[in-house]
Amino acid sequence: MNRTLYKQFDEGYFGEFGGRYAPEVLTEALEELERVYAKLKDNRKFKKQVDYYFKNYVNRPSLLMYAENLTRHWGGARVWLKREDLNHTGAHKINNTIGQALMARYMGKKRIIAETGAGQHGLATATVGAMFGFETVVYMGDVDLKRQELNAVKMKMMGATVRGVSAGEATLKEATSEAMRDWALNVKTTHYIVGSAIGPHPFPTIVRDFQSIIGKESRKQFKKSEGKLPDAVVACVGGGSNAIGMFYGFIGDKKVKLYGVEAGGRDKTPGNHSATISLGKPGFLHGTKTLIIQDENGQIVPAHSVSAGLDYPGVGPEHAHLASTGRVSYANVDDDDALSSFLEVCKIEGIIPALETAHAFSFAKKLAKDLGKKKDILICLSGRGDKDAAEVYRLLGDI
Amino acid sequence: MESEITKKFKSTEGSLFIPYISLGDPNYEDSKRWADAIIKGGGDILELGIPFSDPVADGPVIQRAFSRAFMNPFSLEKIFATTRSIKDANPSTPLVYLTYFNPIYHMGIEKFLSAANKAGVSGFIIPDLPFDSPESHELFSKASKYAIDLIHLVTPATEKSRIHKMKKNSSGFIYYVTSFGVTGERKDFSLDLEERIQYVRKDMGLPIAAGFGISTPDQAAKISKFSDGVIIGSSIQKIIEDHGSNLEICAEKLEIYCKSIRSAMR
Repeated sequence: MNRTLYKQFDEGYFGEFGGRYAPEVLTEALEELERVYAKLKDNRKFKKQVDYYFKNYVNRPSLLMYAENLTRHWGGARVWLKREDLNHTGAHKINNTIGQALMARYMGKKRIIAETGAGQHGLATATVGAMFGFETVVYMGDVDLKRQELNAVKMKMMGATVRGVSAGEATLKEATSEAMRDWALNVKTTHYIVGSAIGPHPFPTIVRDFQSIIGKESRKQFKKSEGKLPDAVVACVGGGSNAIGMFYGFIGDKKVKLYGVEAGGRDKTPGNHSATISLGKPGFLHGTKTLIIQDENGQIVPAHSVSAGLDYPGVGPEHAHLASTGRVSYANVDDDDALSSFLEVCKIEGIIPALETAHAFSFAKKLAKDLGKKKDILICLSGRGDKDAAEVYRLLGDI
Repeated sequence: MESEITKKFKSTEGSLFIPYISLGDPNYEDSKRWADAIIKGGGDILELGIPFSDPVADGPVIQRAFSRAFMNPFSLEKIFATTRSIKDANPSTPLVYLTYFNPIYHMGIEKFLSAANKAGVSGFIIPDLPFDSPESHELFSKASKYAIDLIHLVTPATEKSRIHKMKKNSSGFIYYVTSFGVTGERKDFSLDLEERIQYVRKDMGLPIAAGFGISTPDQAAKISKFSDGVIIGSSIQKIIEDHGSNLEICAEKLEIYCKSIRSAMR
């Protein structure tokens, strides 16, 4: 199937990736969402509402911080951090949930649902559910419920129902399938707040657009501070929402090198990693065509990462496209290196990063050395690592 | 070339009974026995589910069937071989694959079509491949060469304009989804079911088989009055779940159940 053919069909494609491959029962809701989003995205009143909540609820703009200690410690390029961890609820996920909750309200939906891995998207959904008065249900794999118990408790405190999913590997993949089933049953009353730049069209576009605030702010802040743009931008990639949001601020700046960092997990054998872009193949999962970790029969292989937020066997379709065009370079970092970077950032910079972001830090450390002094690296610090503290302690023991 | 499915609809009086089983539950060998029992019980067309790791359109009963099937080593070769055995034993019963799209895409559309054709399959139902996707167009154009029908789903939420557009890429029959949600037993169906089915039949000029949630003879009797076919999956699969460990008892229960459905239908 050539790329031109995909272009003929729909704007929901990124090259050959993306599209809408959801069960027929969801088509009407997806078309409604597409129509509503087309109407709202340039609507001044809607944009003003989003901006209002970004400023007065999320605490935007988030800080752009020069990481003096990491710069000195790594001994290479200057390191900058976009502090999405300082947002309300502690991660970038709130940007998207605010936007989609406002859309759900506009569409007259009374109920919102979400899937979550590490719990940050679930928490952000429970938060907007409480604030805007939606009945909220969050699906979470039983394995993730155990390793991210704190976030599950927080969601319940916000009034959300947290439904554990025991099927398969009981992680994000299964939670996503279950959320899709719920949506199919309750599609008239319910909006499904997809948490990453994945899923059937128009979700990857909607999520990217709401997250692009990260990159837009970063670009402006960096330019104001340094009078130039960073040389490299680094972000971790599971589904890839923080990364696509950050990259979108710089996608037109060809001189700025963009790096996405996936979870290399335990090793490169199937079932032991989440390095979808390096090791996946084109396929269809959860409503989209993208790169997927799969076996010789086209069955999806469970992913693994020390970080619950990264262990998903697919990736946002726009990332698959950006990889194929070469605009963004993708690498992966294994569990051990991510864990040691996690501790390093805690001890050197006094910041507890999310385990997801720890993967980006590990890659950036090497990149900083390669680039050398007088260059600037900007890292998207996608979320804070309180949620991971107990798990890291369990894995590393006395630290 | 007129497909085997089209011929079956034309040659059978009244509504067709279209039962479903998941291949490989609890193993591939026993699947053949279930197929025989179901066809003996009155199944006119048999739907064979290919187990998939992430069946988003299926409810818990079929999800569990797939999980059990995956406890056996899975391969598409085994799927095709089992299908061929079922076809050889029941040559006059058209077989339809219910499969998610990724295994087809991964193998290659042409290769999959050819293998399915050799296995004796005459139709595909692919719940996650909408008719207006590039791959669906490609599949539809290639499938006719093998006399394989591409059967699309229409739901209570499908807009009339969409149904109309679906017409040129549909063949065999239309799978009318009787209610919102995923597969599984239900007490109620959407209120305008009869009216909608009649509308779709008139607009598309294809037979309409209704499925999703039908489990009792009464339901089958009622729906068969205005549909060209009744599809039953989860409640058949539940019999296999409950009795699959005993080959003879399970086969007998499947046959009795299918007979009760068949005799209730017009």
